[in-house]
Amino acid sequence: MKEHLGSCRQAIIDGDAEKSEELAKLTLEKGMPVLEVIDRGFVEGIREVGRLWEEGELFLPELVIGADAMKKAMAVLRPALESVEGGQDRLGHVVIGTIEGDIHDIGKTLVATMLAANGFEVTDLGADVPVAKFVETAAEKGADWIAISALLTTTMPGQKRVIERLEAKSLRGDVKVMVGGAPCSEEWASEIGADGYAGDAVAAVALVKGQTG
Amino acid sequence: MEPVILEGFDIEPDSDELSRLLGRKNGEGIGAPAAAAVGKVSKALDAALEESKDLIVPKAICVTAAGADLHGSEMFTDLEKVAFCVCTIGPALEERVTVLSRDGDILAAVVLDAIGSAAAEAVARYANDRIDEVAAAEGLKTSCRASPGYGDWDVKEQKALFTLVPAGRIGVTLTANSMMVPRKSVSFAVHIAEDPVRLRSESSCRNCDMETCPYRLIE
Repeated sequence: MKEHLGSCRQAIIDGDAEKSEELAKLTLEKGMPVLEVIDRGFVEGIREVGRLWEEGELFLPELVIGADAMKKAMAVLRPALESVEGGQDRLGHVVIGTIEGDIHDIGKTLVATMLAANGFEVTDLGADVPVAKFVETAAEKGADWIAISALLTTTMPGQKRVIERLEAKSLRGDVKVMVGGAPCSEEWASEIGADGYAGDAVAAVALVKGQTG
Repeated sequence: MEPVILEGFDIEPDSDELSRLLGRKNGEGIGAPAAAAVGKVSKALDAALEESKDLIVPKAICVTAAGADLHGSEMFTDLEKVAFCVCTIGPALEERVTVLSRDGDILAAVVLDAIGSAAAEAVARYANDRIDEVAAAEGLKTSCRASPGYGDWDVKEQKALFTLVPAGRIGVTLTANSMMVPRKSVSFAVHIAEDPVRLRSESSCRNCDMETCPYRLIE
């Protein structure tokens, strides 16, 4: 078992999607405890990938490859997770998108990828997403977080409008809000009453997991 | 002055820009591999560079005018001669990135997107070089580039620049939020004079005191 956990961890660090998928399948075939394999194997791997990125050891495509390998493993294990006690809604649901008027997409997609790789359920609304769409989708999905990207000073106010709409719909207590994108900052997040700011995909994961600060 | 359109030229994506976009968080480039994944990365990069050749159609349009012709802007008011320019690589590359993203090939999408940004920068550099040549032929020099949204040039002034430069002729338009479409486009201005002023810009980040500027290109 210990060896298996180590292999799972290493497959993610190596960004070896075929291997991680194979190991995930093996987990099910051998009837190994799914939660433990995820938490002490694969998640350890993606955490290490995140750490290496934070420390400047990895470059961006390597981070993506690690996340891809993780997604492959999770795709195999997720159905089994549904039937395990404590396996459902383990980390929560994030609704993510780039705010209306802003068609930048790739940074937000990276954040969505890293969140999904870390086990979160992610609804990616794409770019140029209307304020109401964020709020409606979060309500409909029972989301725990809304993550809003804005890459221009001219589109940042839309992030504030999402929060205002949540308040107007009396949903603010149910959903946390994270903002990101080049012109955003901790100060901006605090000014508009967001729950946090994330400067990159790894920081976004840490924020949602409550590991900030 | 009549707009000058540049097209039918080749560019190489700017390697420094590519390195910055795909590089390590500590500012180091995409040099020595750290993980076993590197084979995949270089393969993805090579494949994307090859694919990008058919997706990049470099074009630029430049208008030389008096600074005061940029209505509503104070930045250029006193400058006698300024070249205003809009450059693009066209829409095909970002359309392909959207498809790759949607299909879940995030690695290919990220790499191709970065190549697009680096290519747009290379088009701007090409146009800048042509402006420099024309200026030099007249015995003049040029300042470094300034772009709306960088340094202290407000992105909202993009609209004034687009009023002056008929960028629609190379297929570039502005959204209500002053965002260029295609996204992989660059707009800029350079001052042309015997002794040009120093415009705050991406290429003068080093001299800029806005150290927390999100678009600062240097550490």
